[in-house]
Amino acid sequence: MRDQTLKYLLVAPAVLVVFATAVWPLIESLRFSFYQGRTDRGDFPQNWLGVENYEWAFLYEPAFWNSVWVTGLYTVITVALTTLFALGLAMLLAPGGKLRSGVQTLLILPFAMSPALIGVSFRFMFNPEFGLFDAFFGVVFPPLADVSWLADPDLAFAVIVMADVWGWIPFLTLVLIGGLASVPQDTIEAAQVDGASGWRVFKDVTLPQLMPVLAVVIILKAIFSLKTFDQVFMLTNGGPGTATQTLSHYIYITSTRYGQVGYAASVAWLMVIPMMVLTYFYAKFVFKKD
Amino acid sequence: MTEQSTPEIELSAAQSAEFWTGKRKQRFWRAIQAILILIAAFIMLIPIIWIFLAAFKSHVEVYQLRLFFTPTFENFGTVFEDPYDLGSKLFNSTIVAFVTVIIAIPIATMAAYSFSRFTLKFETTILVVILATQFVPAVVIILPFFIMFRDLGLLDTRIGLIMVNLAIVMPFAIWMIKGFIDGIPMDTEEAAMVDGSSRLQVIKNIVLPMAAPGLVTASIFCFILAWNEFLFALFLTNREATTLPIGLALFRGEEGDLWNLLSAAGIIIMLPMFVLALAIRKYFVQGMTMGAVR
Repeated sequence: MRDQTLKYLLVAPAVLVVFATAVWPLIESLRFSFYQGRTDRGDFPQNWLGVENYEWAFLYEPAFWNSVWVTGLYTVITVALTTLFALGLAMLLAPGGKLRSGVQTLLILPFAMSPALIGVSFRFMFNPEFGLFDAFFGVVFPPLADVSWLADPDLAFAVIVMADVWGWIPFLTLVLIGGLASVPQDTIEAAQVDGASGWRVFKDVTLPQLMPVLAVVIILKAIFSLKTFDQVFMLTNGGPGTATQTLSHYIYITSTRYGQVGYAASVAWLMVIPMMVLTYFYAKFVFKKD
Repeated sequence: MTEQSTPEIELSAAQSAEFWTGKRKQRFWRAIQAILILIAAFIMLIPIIWIFLAAFKSHVEVYQLRLFFTPTFENFGTVFEDPYDLGSKLFNSTIVAFVTVIIAIPIATMAAYSFSRFTLKFETTILVVILATQFVPAVVIILPFFIMFRDLGLLDTRIGLIMVNLAIVMPFAIWMIKGFIDGIPMDTEEAAMVDGSSRLQVIKNIVLPMAAPGLVTASIFCFILAWNEFLFALFLTNREATTLPIGLALFRGEEGDLWNLLSAAGIIIMLPMFVLALAIRKYFVQGMTMGAVR
């Protein structure tokens, strides 16, 4: 068989699978979003609604705006905290040696944990009666001694942020250690010989060199923060009230509990748009290398 | 300044400024760093350790903040009994993750080889689309499948779950394996072709054996992704095909969370993944970033 034919035959099954499992549902969701699509009626979808689902979300659904706000705030805070902590930890661990590479190995563990299980473990850690973190914060900061974290809107939000940051620091740290390793050592040494302080070396030499890697991890983390669902479902299930209801959770509730799949699809598509922008920038970084 | 300096009390102001430079200062910072690293490691591990401890506590002891207790294996028995029946979830998780990988890896390998060795029309576009599908929120993908499976009677089946899991696994598999094949030099292949081997023989006899470690790595990575998948299983299953992560919800009884059982189930979910992840730890970052970071 000629390579000219073979090369397309080899790619065809993969393209088909990706099309069927990702591209088709994406388009089908877009179609649903213009219909009244309730699961409690016989045929699906029902009436053509045009952009009414979108209008409904924008104009008449405070719950939608609430989840936009929760997701936005959650994304900004988790991206910032995870990146900062991971950068610090990566700087600490980068030099290598027994202790450091041992800790690096351990970093893989939280990342292999199911996010649902991370949610469960943090609900455990913040249990008002026998949670370890709850007890710890109670000692360090007495006003928090007797609070029930997951029953307070702000504190529940803080807990889902902590669970997410905890789960993602290891991965970002490992990526950044890789990035730090590619910063040329002689440039750093040259700056040190010139008498630059540790901080100056970091700010003027290391950080600029690290920028491409930092950009990649920030985009990647932002994408995963926007999609967050598993831990939220297991930790707070969006509560108390809707204080921790992310967009994914809102879509889950409207489609399964209220059976409004058409409306849920319109909200889901509103989520796809920022994702596409982020993916565009991410793809630029991936292909720049080749 | 050397380490055998004069006693600290006798230092003048100028000397004490000097005291903090050189080796002492370096040692001080090294100690601070070591302490910070240990604290970080401790924070990373403590929720995991806590689950491990709780899994061996009795249902009385789990409600106490105690470090020392008489360990019991009782919980690991209870989770497999009625009404929890974790065994069926373990079976579902294993089958679903395994079959997903078995389907995904050969298909991904074929595509990865082609992307790596040939120039295709719209190659960049196809690769970007494959990359982008990974970032589509799972809730968007699941809605049409939910409707379709409802009509086809595929809700709450393992087959349905395997189909949607391919959506998660395929992009990672293609990109990861492409990375491995990119790393295999082409000269052996070319030499074999000159000697009269066909392209398919070359793939079978040269590329596959050389790519084997990479294929195993990608399989393990995809297995972990499928095993930990939560949202699809939550939408699509309720009794027959529920997987382990969904099974965690079983232990939220009327009287609150059954922490000792939750922890035992948690260990059953995470321990095999820890072993697998440690086995491929060098490639974890590469896999997750799909080659954006090398």
